[in-house]
Amino acid sequence: MDILQIATTVALVLLAVAWYLSYSASRLDRLHAKVEGAVSALDAQLVRRAEATLELATSGALDPATSLLLADAASEALERHTHQPLSHDPLEGQTFAGREDTETNLTEVLRAVLQEDTVAALRADVEGVGADGLSRVEASALRVQLARRFHNDAVREVRRVRTKWVVRLFRLAGHAALPHRVDFDDDLPPAVVD
Amino acid sequence: MRIGLVCPYAFDVPGGVQFHVRDLAEFFTAQGHDVSVLAPVDDGGASLPAYVTSCGRAVPVRYNGSVARLTFGPVTSSRVSRWLEEGDFDVLHLHEPVTPSASLMALWASSEPVVATFHTSNIRSRAMHAANPLLRPSTEKIRARIAVSEEARQTVRRHLGGDAYIIPNGVDTHRFAPDGAVTRWTGTPERPTLAFLGRIDEPRKGLDVVVAAMPAVLDALPGARLVVAGPGDVDEIAESLDPRVRAAAEFLGAVSEDDKVALLRSADLYVAPHTGGESFGIVLVEAMSAGAPVLASDLEAFVAVLGSGPAGRTFPVGDSAALARAVVELVGDPGERQRLSDLGLRRARSFDWGVVAERVMAVYETVIEGADSSPVEPALRAGLLGRLRWPMRGEA
Repeated sequence: MDILQIATTVALVLLAVAWYLSYSASRLDRLHAKVEGAVSALDAQLVRRAEATLELATSGALDPATSLLLADAASEALERHTHQPLSHDPLEGQTFAGREDTETNLTEVLRAVLQEDTVAALRADVEGVGADGLSRVEASALRVQLARRFHNDAVREVRRVRTKWVVRLFRLAGHAALPHRVDFDDDLPPAVVD
Repeated sequence: MRIGLVCPYAFDVPGGVQFHVRDLAEFFTAQGHDVSVLAPVDDGGASLPAYVTSCGRAVPVRYNGSVARLTFGPVTSSRVSRWLEEGDFDVLHLHEPVTPSASLMALWASSEPVVATFHTSNIRSRAMHAANPLLRPSTEKIRARIAVSEEARQTVRRHLGGDAYIIPNGVDTHRFAPDGAVTRWTGTPERPTLAFLGRIDEPRKGLDVVVAAMPAVLDALPGARLVVAGPGDVDEIAESLDPRVRAAAEFLGAVSEDDKVALLRSADLYVAPHTGGESFGIVLVEAMSAGAPVLASDLEAFVAVLGSGPAGRTFPVGDSAALARAVVELVGDPGERQRLSDLGLRRARSFDWGVVAERVMAVYETVIEGADSSPVEPALRAGLLGRLRWPMRGEA
């Protein structure tokens, strides 16, 4: 093998390695982008759920005790959102800014309040604000479920790729923080499922 | 919303996935969305709905243990790319994205937000293991995974990792709603009718199980009729039957949709003795929508469809003696059959396309929202030259 052949081979190998690294980096970048999008979507749905709950609470379709319970849980969730907006840097807030407890609380209050008889009464109130408010809470609660699952799937993919040796050796993840799952209770109240 | 749906199997050949895609497309079109379906087509000249674009002829190939009509190759590839370009979709919804056909190719070529629905419960693991490194970067593009049943979800978890959100198959329940009309299958107390639906020569549909139960049923209910609707070689089956069972059985062969509906509406009992391979059990939902009391084998998928009520009676898979006992008991108890019929009608409503499609739309909206707030994606479709650059610091 003369020197030219060796040089060509080395150049080709280097080119292939460079291509692979670039490809892996952009793949990882895309996965990070997906997680960021998923976190924002989840955040938006959570805000919508809290707003819809607050709306239902203040609609006058429920008794005052129920309304107060709902309003309390919903406004706490909204407060946590405004105090720590994710939009600054979604991935920085490693543990979802500790909002899991607040959101679990809202879920639990919704479940405690939306019992079968209450749901039936609200649904019967077709003309008024009750049915409308309930369906908005239902729709946003369903979307919270979806957004959280899709987010956690995206997190799992990023974490899997980031354990690969190429990614670690060449630091392809750059300074991006390792994303974390978001886990809280988002089960729909059984009475609205049927 | 501009929605692109991709079906991997020949659109003009009947099948569960095809019907699912068709119904979704028609439901969203009726709601005013802009829907386009990309699918292989067997017979180029066949009359296809206007919303279908053909991505080439389907070729019968052996895959995952059975022969499927799929499409692949360079012609398909360029048609998929052109369809994506012209469609300019807000969301791309792929069905069976790891089947080697149009869906997988669309996934490969897509830059839109992708939703994927998994239907099968038996992806072959050997093929999946071999192809995993190849498919992984593509499957990472999927932003939302839907499974049509718990079994399909387990398959996703096992073979792809991660999770999937369950949204069941939809059924146009209004089409089956009981109308009270008397047909030639309407039973009488002396001659009660049992309905069986499904290919008669496919063992997993369980005709054998119900046939073996018939002598015991006839001992208790000499007038019972077994009405069998489904394609297959009737003579071959009929020959092997006990003469008494042969006399009580009526083979309709392949029936039209209207006859199927009429049979389900008028049967005294719908029997589903399937022995396996069902990932969803749409036929149970159809029977419940028609008001037929359901007696089914206790497959996981069937138990899930019947719900916690449960809106139907079950018996152990393949247990003809238990089936016979349940038939005799239910036929002799019209009150219980009425109760099951009412529960079934109520249960079926949660599988109506109106309910199901609303959930699918919620998935689309969540995914689009996520895609809109993602940072700008790197140009992955820029081709080889676009990738031939060292990632700059901060880009990686």
